[in-house]
Formats: sequence, C-alpha cells, structure tokens
Amino acid sequence: MADITAPQRRSFSLDGLTLRYAVLVGLIVIASIGFSMANENFYSMTNIGILLRSISVLFLVSMGMTFVMLTGGIDLSVGSNVAFSGGVGVVTLVSTGSPWLGFAAAILAGMAIGWINGFFIGKLQLSAFMVTLATFAAARGLALVIYDADSINVHDPVFLWLGGTSWGNLPVVIPFVALMFVALSILLYKTTFGRDVYATGSNFNTAFVLGRQPGRKLIWVYVLTGALAGLSAIITVGRVSSGQPWTGLYLEFDAITAVILGGTALAGGRGKLLGTILGVLLYGIIINGLVLTGTNPYLQSVIKGAILLGVVLLDTYTQRGKA
Amino acid sequence: MKNRIDMKGIDKSFFATRALNNVDFSCVSGEVHALVGLNGAGKSTLMKVLGGVISRDSGTIEVNGTPVEINSPADASAQGISMIHQEYSLINELTVAGNIFLGRELRKSGPFLDKKEMARQVKEQLDRFGLDLDPYKPIRELNSGEKQIVEIIRALMSDSWLIVMDEPTSALSEEDKGRLFEFIRRMKAEGISIIYISHHMPEIFGIAEQVTVMRDGQIVLSERTAETTEDAVIATMTGTELENFVKPHKEILGEVLVNVAGLTKNEAYQDISFDVHRGEILVLTGLRGCGAPELAKAIFGLDGDYNGTITYRGAALKPGRGPAVAVSDGMGLVTENRDKNGILPQLSVRDNIALPFLEKSVKAGVLDGRAIEKVVTKAIADTSTKTSSPNQEIRFLSGGNKQKICFSRWLDPDLEFLILLEPTRGIDVHAKADIYRIIEDLAERGVGILILSYEIDEVIMLADRVITLYQGQSVSEFTYPNFDKDQMLADIAGVGQPH
Repeated sequence: MADITAPQRRSFSLDGLTLRYAVLVGLIVIASIGFSMANENFYSMTNIGILLRSISVLFLVSMGMTFVMLTGGIDLSVGSNVAFSGGVGVVTLVSTGSPWLGFAAAILAGMAIGWINGFFIGKLQLSAFMVTLATFAAARGLALVIYDADSINVHDPVFLWLGGTSWGNLPVVIPFVALMFVALSILLYKTTFGRDVYATGSNFNTAFVLGRQPGRKLIWVYVLTGALAGLSAIITVGRVSSGQPWTGLYLEFDAITAVILGGTALAGGRGKLLGTILGVLLYGIIINGLVLTGTNPYLQSVIKGAILLGVVLLDTYTQRGKA
Repeated sequence: MKNRIDMKGIDKSFFATRALNNVDFSCVSGEVHALVGLNGAGKSTLMKVLGGVISRDSGTIEVNGTPVEINSPADASAQGISMIHQEYSLINELTVAGNIFLGRELRKSGPFLDKKEMARQVKEQLDRFGLDLDPYKPIRELNSGEKQIVEIIRALMSDSWLIVMDEPTSALSEEDKGRLFEFIRRMKAEGISIIYISHHMPEIFGIAEQVTVMRDGQIVLSERTAETTEDAVIATMTGTELENFVKPHKEILGEVLVNVAGLTKNEAYQDISFDVHRGEILVLTGLRGCGAPELAKAIFGLDGDYNGTITYRGAALKPGRGPAVAVSDGMGLVTENRDKNGILPQLSVRDNIALPFLEKSVKAGVLDGRAIEKVVTKAIADTSTKTSSPNQEIRFLSGGNKQKICFSRWLDPDLEFLILLEPTRGIDVHAKADIYRIIEDLAERGVGILILSYEIDEVIMLADRVITLYQGQSVSEFTYPNFDKDQMLADIAGVGQPH
C-alpha cells in the first residue's frame, strides 16, 4: 500500500550517490579555485604533491573506515592503532635491523588491535562505539609504553621508502594508494566478502538467517581496518623519518568525517569507496587550504567540527525525507 | 447524532504517478466501510489524505456537510478521525491506562498522577465494550490483539467517532480476530464509524455494511455488502476474474527427508514427532503461541536448546548448528517478519536474491556478474516479481513483491528443504496466488516443505498433510484430501483439551 510513492523515491535514491559525487567534485573544484586565489602556491605541483602525500594516510584509513561504516559500525581506535603499530614496527626494525620484519610487525600489530575490536564487536556483539573507544585509549597507552613516550629516529632507507620517496614531484605513496584503492574495490564489489559487508550493515538479522555469518565478517572487517592502520603507520614513519607515540591524533575524526562526506550512510548498508576518495580529497583540500591561508590552527579545529556536524545534519535530514 | 464524512473529488499525484484520481468516498456513523484493492491501488494514500498525513492536490473534505481543513494529523483528530496503524505506537514500559492517557494524564492536586482515576475510566470503557483487560497491565505483557484494543480504546477516549483500521487482522490469531470483530460490532452499535482496510473477503462480508473497491487510484465499485458478492469484489479488484489457485493433485512418493522425534523444549513444545518427505508440503497450524515457530527454529538450527532428535537426509542434526550450516546443507527459511529478518532494505533486489548461494557464482575468487544476473533474472521471472530492475532497492517494493523475493532466493536447484513461517502474511490476494504457485512448483521439484500458517483457508489450500498444535502439543493429523476444516479449527482452539 505504501508503495504508491515509490516511483519518484526510487529515481532519487538511484541518483542519490551519483548526485552526491557530482556535488563533491563541484565542491573540490570550487575549494581549489578559492584557495588558489587566496594563495598562489596552492596550485604549484609541489603543493599538490605535498597535499596528496599529507592525506595519503587519511586515504588508507578512510577506506578501511568505509568498510567498517558500511557494516553499521565505527572504529575510533584507528589513530591510536597507527601510533601503536608504528611503534611495534619501529622497535622491531631497530632491534632486528630487518626492515621486512619491521613491516610485518607493524601490519600484524595493526591487525591484532583490529582483531580485538572484531572479536568483541562481531563475536560478543558489544557496541562498536564502546569497544573501539576502549581500544582507542588502550592502543595509545601501549604506543606510549613502547616508545617510552619519546620518538625514535629511523634511518633505514627501505623502511622509509614508501612514505618518504618521490619520483620528481610525485610521492611514491600516491600510486600505492591508487593500487590499494583498486585492490579494496575488488574486495568490496567483486567478492562474496564484499557483498556480505553490505548485507551485514543493511540487516544483521537477515544476513544471519541467510547463513552469511555476519558476526565473523565483522571480525574480518576490523582486522582489515587494523591492517590498513599498520600500513598507514609505515607511511607515517617514512614521511617524518621517525616513529612518534603521538602520531595519528584525531585521525579517526578525520576519517569518519571524510567517509560521511563521501556519502556512506551512518546506519550502514550504503556507500562506496569512490565517495570516500572524493570525501578525503575535499576534506584534505579544505584543511590544506586553511593551513596555506594562515588560518588560526585552533580555529581550524572549530571548522573541522562544523564540517562534520553540517554533513551529518544534511544526511540525516535527506535520509528522513526518504524514509 | 449522526455523523458523516464526505471526501469529494480528491486528487493526488506524486510527480508523474496519479495516485488518486477524482475519488469520492463517504462514511456514516454506526457503519463499517470496507476499503479494498490490491497493493498500490490508492487505499493508503486516500487514508493518509483523510488523516492529514499527506496533503491533497484538489478536492474537499466535509464533516456533516461543512467543509473542513485537514492539513495535519492534529487537524484530523480534532475532527474525531483516528488511524490505527499496523505497527503499534504504544510504549511497552507503560501500563494500559498509562498509554491511553499519554500526554493528557489526569492529576491529583499538584504534580502527582491520579492513576486510580485513569484506570477507572479505562476500565469503564473496556466494560462498555465487553472487553476483559487489566488497565494496570504493562503493554509488553499484551499480545498483538490486546495491543490493538488498547490503541482503539485510546482513540475512542479522545472523542474519535471515525476509526481507520489498516489490515487489523494481519497479526492476529483466530481467537483475537473473533474478539476484534465483536468489539467492532459493539462500536457500531455505539455510533462509531469504521473504515476497514482488508484483503480478507469473509471478514469484509462478515462485518461491513458498505464495500468500496479501489483500482489504480480510482473507485471502481462501491456497494452495500448485502447487494454484492465476494466474487464480484474480487473481480473488480483485479480487473479480471482471479483464477482461484487450485492445488494440483499428487502422490507423495519421495523418501523421508526430515524426521523429528520426541522434540521437547520445556515451555514452547512437547514431544513433537513427524516426518517430511521429499516433495511433500507439511503444514503446522495452531493459534499464536502453539509452539510452531520455535519448532521451526530448532529444525533450522537457530535454537539448540531442546531434547529429542532431528534427522535430516538420514543423519542426526547437531542442535543449534547455525544457519550457515543449514544453508550449506540445502535448507532454506522464509521468516515470519520480512522487515525484521527477511530483507536487506538498502540493498538491491539482485543482492537480496543472490545472497544465500553467492558462493556458486564465484570464478577465480571474484564474483561472476553474468552468472548472478542469470540466477536473478530467472528468479524474478519465476516468481513474477514486479520490479523496475534488479538494481532497485528492495525497500521500495510492495509487501507482496518483497515476500516474493524472500522466496525467490531459495529457488536454487540445491535446495532440498524449505521452512516457511506465515508465508503470505500481510500481502494481497494476487501475490498470494503467485506464492502458492511457487510453493507448489518447489514441491513438484522434490523439495520438502514445512509451513507454519495461522490462516485455516491457506492451510487447507496448500497442505498435503496438516498437523494441528495446541499449546505446544500436537493434537491431530489430516491427510489430503481428507481435510475437515471444522475439526481442525476445534483442534487448534483446544476444544476438548483438559484445562
């Protein structure tokens, strides 16, 4: 009976994400033009390289966050996890002298935090917000313990390569992020796991009854996000040539904002990686522009908060209109 | 005083879709006016206009001959119009009286609630209609039928004289239905007017004075029920004579697929034993609370907390093995509550259909879009599901089409056993006939089918064998074609059972 209004709703929702992406691209263009008028350096190849490199970690973490938020969850621990897994990687590197063992240790450490999140959320059905709030604090604490609250300088060229090397104006991390985007897109759109991620977020109970084991899929989603945090840690260390216990601060905030900006539904079940990429770009350009235009850094934080609130407000109301 | 409401020349369009086209509709005191039509015919839209939930494009609404403006639900209730919704809008933690007086509580002097007086007034109303309900009982302890009664009493106590009920019996047991109809008769006698939206012909012809049929946003028939027939109403609903679904006659020759022996779960069911053969449709029926859904959950592996054994394909099943194992063993389940655990609302029709057997469409580790497309296209065609494309999000489909999709995902050739809980709950006659056909086709193919149904006509129409349950005990068994409807009704109602 209620389907009388279906035809026009359907066309809205089909165009919904496409429209969203068009708006994001438009905003990216407008923001770029605005900041380039305010600061002539904005458009230099050097700055674009710096910009992209500075948001490369945000790209990776936000793609992981997209998986998490598609399941209807949230991961507040990613920023702390970047510090923790970086610490484990750097200490392993320093004590064994092997960059490869350092890489492996960082990624495994990230996955371990992710597994803990996933175990409590997927297996024991606790609230994602609470579980990752706990690991948010715990992982940061572990990072401080590992580093003894001080940074550790890293000189190994192999370990620093991914985050620190540039081919001309192009940091190598940019094609790496592009590669990860392709790999994660295949995982999300072309595998049964990806379909189950959407199913879990759309209706956990249905996914369960249909035998899709949504609880187990949740564990893997958080492990994936943890692995991406580990990779991000390696890139972060490479960028600044040292491991720092306070790295990744507010990263979860930036990632959540970018994912929501990119059109992923707060309640899960709907959204795409492309949207997240556009969301990170727009968010990164705004932040970078604020830095270049010399905006008061405290004010920047206020602007970030306003952006998140604005997007959530917009999304909630447009969703309500459709529901 | 006699009240009447007249809706005249109501038009409503949603962009290109004309949902209501010059509709005239009237209702007078002390009568039940049945409003029928297939899903999408415009019944809900018309009632939403009346209730002030959506605005009309043109037309007038008159109460007792005076034009009134109804632009919000508050306007509607000021005119004495109340809607009783399918989803109950009651607060579980409050009592019956607390809910009825919600927002207009009676107070003693000062800030303290006068619970006694509120309960007394509610009791008075309940007595007036011969209803037996404790005003102090919390809502969470009531069954669906009782909740509905509370909603109606709440409407009556806020001076409503016109009550709109949308599919009021869809979640009710036979017993609660009887009670509701008695209540409706008493309301009629008190001068209350009722607009009754339903798909059930016997209900309509049992209690309504007037029946109006809508099709494609227009009124196609409006007659006194005494002057028309069930067949005439059905015929105008669909535009064509609806071929009644006729059960094909067949012999059950298949081997035993599922054997349930001495199954007991303390409160829910006791010492239940039966077989389901390949190709057989076994229907369990009873009143709500008869234990059949719990039984079905045990067989599907959702609940392992029982005594007794379940044998499937000759091997004992591990209790509570979980749905993932069940599905990989060739079992399927259509749940009784589509929206809660039947559909994936934001996902496409394609994803909703393909999910349980997704692994079969994997080539070299990645999904083969063409293989999925083939499965989905065939499933949509076989179930005659109406959707603009497989990309359509399922939440925008009608109830009947959603339900067809819940079936179509199990059409895979590897499916051997299908459990259906209330397979046609809340869907129109047309979709019902399609679903019966799908069930028969599956059985034809050799799938063993276990159905739980509370609708006696459906039980008789579908079953090869029927087991009646009463409070967790099996009472009797009937085999096609020896179905004795009256005996079945007596058995599920516990006639002759010890107290």
